[in-house]
Amino acid sequence: MSWSLFKRMWREKRLGAIGGLIFLLFLLCGIFADFLAPYGMNEPDLTVRLQAPSSEYFFGTDHLGRDVFSRVLIGAQLSMVVGFLAAGLATVVSIVVGVLSGYFGGRIDMFIQRFVDAWMTFPDLLLLIVVISILGPGMPQIIIVLGFLYGIAGSRIVRGSVVSVRETMYTHAAQSMGASTLRILFKHILPNVMPVVIVLFTTRVGATILAEAGLSFLGLGVPPPSPTWGSMLSGTGRTYMYLGPWLALAPGLCLTIVVYAINVYGDALRDLIDPRMRGVR
Amino acid sequence: MSGRSLFCAMWLVVFSLPIFAEEPQYGGELNIGTVYVTLSPLSWDPQDWSWKTNHDTSMVREQLFVADLDKSIRKGGPHAFVSDAYLPADAIRGELAESWHWLDPLTLELSLRKGVMIPGKAGVMETRELDAYDVVFSLENLQSSPKKINEYLDHIEELEVVDPHTLRFHFNKFNAEWDYRFGYGYYSAIVPRETADVDAKSWRNLVGSGPFSMTRYVQGNSQSYAKNPDYWDSEQLNGKQYAIPFIDRLNYRIIKDEATYLTGLRTGKLDILEAIRWIAVDHLKETTPELNWHRWLSTSGNFIAMRQDFPPFADRRVRRAMNLAINQAEIVELFYGGHAELMAFPQHPGFGDYFQPLEEMPASVQELFDYDPEKAKALLVEAGYEDGFEVTVQVCSCSPNNMDLIPLLEGYYAKIGVQLIIQPLEYASFLSMMTTRNHAPAYFMNTGHVNPTTTIRKNFVTGQLWNPSLHSDAEFDARVEDAFATRDETQRITKLRELTVNILDEAPYVWLPTTYVYTAWWPWVKNYNGELRAGAVRPGPIYARIWLDQQMKKDMGFE
Amino acid sequence: MQAYIARRLLALLPTLFFASLIVFMSMRLIPGDVIDLMLAQNDVATSQDRARIEAALGLDQPLLTQYLDWVGGVLQGDLGRSLWQNTPVTEQLAATLPITFELGFLALLIALSVALPIGIYSAMRQDTTGDYVVRSFSLLMLAIPSFWLGTLVMVFPSVWWRWSPPLAYVPFFEDPVANLSHMLVPAILLGLSMSAVTMRMTRTMMLEVLRQDYIRTARAKGLSENLMIARHALRNGLIPVVTLIGLQVPLLIGGAVILEQIFVVPGMGLLLLEAVFQRDYPVISGIFLVVGVGVLLINLLIDLSYGFLDPKVRHQ
Repeated sequence: MSWSLFKRMWREKRLGAIGGLIFLLFLLCGIFADFLAPYGMNEPDLTVRLQAPSSEYFFGTDHLGRDVFSRVLIGAQLSMVVGFLAAGLATVVSIVVGVLSGYFGGRIDMFIQRFVDAWMTFPDLLLLIVVISILGPGMPQIIIVLGFLYGIAGSRIVRGSVVSVRETMYTHAAQSMGASTLRILFKHILPNVMPVVIVLFTTRVGATILAEAGLSFLGLGVPPPSPTWGSMLSGTGRTYMYLGPWLALAPGLCLTIVVYAINVYGDALRDLIDPRMRGVR
Repeated sequence: MSGRSLFCAMWLVVFSLPIFAEEPQYGGELNIGTVYVTLSPLSWDPQDWSWKTNHDTSMVREQLFVADLDKSIRKGGPHAFVSDAYLPADAIRGELAESWHWLDPLTLELSLRKGVMIPGKAGVMETRELDAYDVVFSLENLQSSPKKINEYLDHIEELEVVDPHTLRFHFNKFNAEWDYRFGYGYYSAIVPRETADVDAKSWRNLVGSGPFSMTRYVQGNSQSYAKNPDYWDSEQLNGKQYAIPFIDRLNYRIIKDEATYLTGLRTGKLDILEAIRWIAVDHLKETTPELNWHRWLSTSGNFIAMRQDFPPFADRRVRRAMNLAINQAEIVELFYGGHAELMAFPQHPGFGDYFQPLEEMPASVQELFDYDPEKAKALLVEAGYEDGFEVTVQVCSCSPNNMDLIPLLEGYYAKIGVQLIIQPLEYASFLSMMTTRNHAPAYFMNTGHVNPTTTIRKNFVTGQLWNPSLHSDAEFDARVEDAFATRDETQRITKLRELTVNILDEAPYVWLPTTYVYTAWWPWVKNYNGELRAGAVRPGPIYARIWLDQQMKKDMGFE
Repeated sequence: MQAYIARRLLALLPTLFFASLIVFMSMRLIPGDVIDLMLAQNDVATSQDRARIEAALGLDQPLLTQYLDWVGGVLQGDLGRSLWQNTPVTEQLAATLPITFELGFLALLIALSVALPIGIYSAMRQDTTGDYVVRSFSLLMLAIPSFWLGTLVMVFPSVWWRWSPPLAYVPFFEDPVANLSHMLVPAILLGLSMSAVTMRMTRTMMLEVLRQDYIRTARAKGLSENLMIARHALRNGLIPVVTLIGLQVPLLIGGAVILEQIFVVPGMGLLLLEAVFQRDYPVISGIFLVVGVGVLLINLLIDLSYGFLDPKVRHQ
């Protein structure tokens, strides 16, 4: 995200720019969570359980007497980690599969596309449920699963972009000059595919955070005491809905704001970078 | 007594006379969120030896013995009937059995009730009277199954038919649980012999002599039953006999989500909700003050099993230290908001005299429920673990309660130098760890109490499947076997009490508090006071005696 | 045309084969197999014969044999039986698939009836306040987890007004009103979350189309704005929307799981969840097969529909 691009976004698509800033804020909170959090993420103290927000506990305390504010901050860290790593893995997978399929074409393309077809016939959540059951609940497993899931689905988009770049003059010129495949890939194909990839990445971050929340609800998310927003919202947030609404409000609002912000940002980025991509999710 | 109070007392007496008591009404539909509201039926076929089958079929199929519901608290008796698989000796009556007596110490003669009709069902059977051959079939059906539980019914050597209404049980040895195992237990349903010729696994072929027949099953949503108009039993209310069931239709609602089933109760879509966590109670009482309530102690023990083949846990002092390090009283007070008891496992207060309260226990047992981290540390030092040790504990992510409790316990143990490594597992993985004996040295689990003898046998006898601590004491085993062979109940109670005290002392488990659970129902549900089971997970007879004041329901604004 | 359809259907087969093999095998990788679970069901059990139970369920055969048996069964229309209740999988699917389908269909109707008009409006009033508000709202709908919204809708009306959506499922042909009132609220929630994406797509496509030459020509010809939109813009803008519907179908089936749980809709999502927790392999394989076939068929239908919508494709 270059400075000039950001300035342009601020001028033309201010909402997107604001979204980006909000996301950056949460990202920083996540990175510095250990410093910012007044308490640890798992310091139960039954004597102060279920207290409403106060100056001592900004977001109140939960049913075990843990400070919700600290847990939400550390939850930001976890959500960012899950989001970025999963989206990152997804992007890598998308690039590898998309480039292989799009650039080499022919039988390889057909074979890979059949596989992608098979993969994409299955609903996300159903696949997630089965795979998480195989691997067991846990953060690394969720990152890997979400990464591959979104990666393969996104490879279609990358492939489309690769195909269109492949047919340009530059590539033909380079090929006729005898440039190696690897060189062509890195010097010509990838740079032109990057805009698509960047936009994909930003939208995936939001999607993975939401997916983790959904998995938590079904009992397959990152297990306690990890304070991911998803598990805080779907677990204690719902159970103690009556006794302590702040238990749900804090992680819920954070989750919604972050996902909203990054989607708005991703939209604006896409509009600016590659108007051709407007038809893409 | 003053003249005024005498006057009041007189009117009180007059109004409590039976003529002013309510006259039960017939008709209506009862919707229940049962104790197992989140679980779908597992099986309809007795050959599957499934613990849950009774729960889903006990209104259709009957057993030899059943709870004597006239002894319930609601009728002035002493029993609440919440135990999952235990009936006190004074509260058993014959359901399909009319009378029984011992011919000799190993032969029981049992007479069946006459005129009990099994309603016909197309494709299964014609209407006919239930007879002794059905009882024999039911037993053989169980014993020939590939899923048979070994040794469970092996105390029955032979079942002889004397005449169509008389049976003789020939035992090869006396088993104190004889009446439970084939009389009112999990696998005691008497099934018509025509079941052998149809697909017994289909709910459509579910037939029996009971008060209801099954009309519909929507997997994941509901189970529906309709009144059997020719049902043989009756209920006595206010000195009169009434044919039962009173209601026309009975529905089990299957609802996985807690918020949803609580909503169901609040909006009158559920007439009864049998198992409500204490967390939800206060808010429910606030928003729905009309509800009636009954509180009962969970029939499930909560504990951490410590594998005795893991070096620190082989030492009794370490195991006792693990108990002393936990502040159970604080957990009861603060974590459970007071809605729990310190000690209700392995025996349950519902077991009557088999249960000895904590206050009557010897000091060495009471100590385990105190909080003494200093003494715990001292014991560890004595056992050679002054630097503490590390131990993995497996918890099921399916139990929110345990998942919440484990970080607390981690904190307590850290104070005495024991480092817990928490390993959450999903339900099936968690259970399979235990069945394959691959479970971690510390295994945080729940298990049902069942009854006074089984709770000791299954948890602590060598080689039992549900003995995850791998506790093995030949002398203890021998005493348990002896208790099973003891005919006289008073003697048995004494033996079991001793066994319970001993095992509590041995501390194969970290004994954790047992919570209270709540049952709530709307006031138009009559002749009911929160009774849960009339046999092993058998609520059928209870539901058959409930009547609905439909006018009251309408007056309160519910359809 | 027939040849084309036949070719497409044939092309489905390797994909399905691939997918079914993956699903079948991966099932067995899940730790904690069904026998363990069955053995752990009875807490009064002393011991049960593991081998006998395995044999009775046919699970003692080598994996490949089990797979081939299953495929053989599938080709004859027999998807096996549930390991727990012994109900034929086809029966379970026949019971739950229509329910999920109905929920999805209703949700789609709602999504389209919300998304299309708003998307078009948004495109026509591009970059006005209205456009921004609408787009922001749709993004917001995307960002709120469905289980949370579902919980709020289930719980709070019951606390404030003692009202909740019905919890009892009644088949449609038995009592359409009861059936619809049970499905309506989850359908609305599912539809709204879908409409967010559909809305943005419609808007984008409409924008593209509005810029096209033939629109300018139509305008020049003097056609009224609305008529022009109806005839040209919609027709062409609809193609990507139809594509999008195709992409959304898996989402419908999968995304419904959470709402099915909260609103007690006995659909395929819940069936799968339960089957996974209980390690009911035949049911899991059966569901994936049916879902796979369903999605592939729907995609085929959508591809075919291009022929009707876009004259250029038809003449290929």
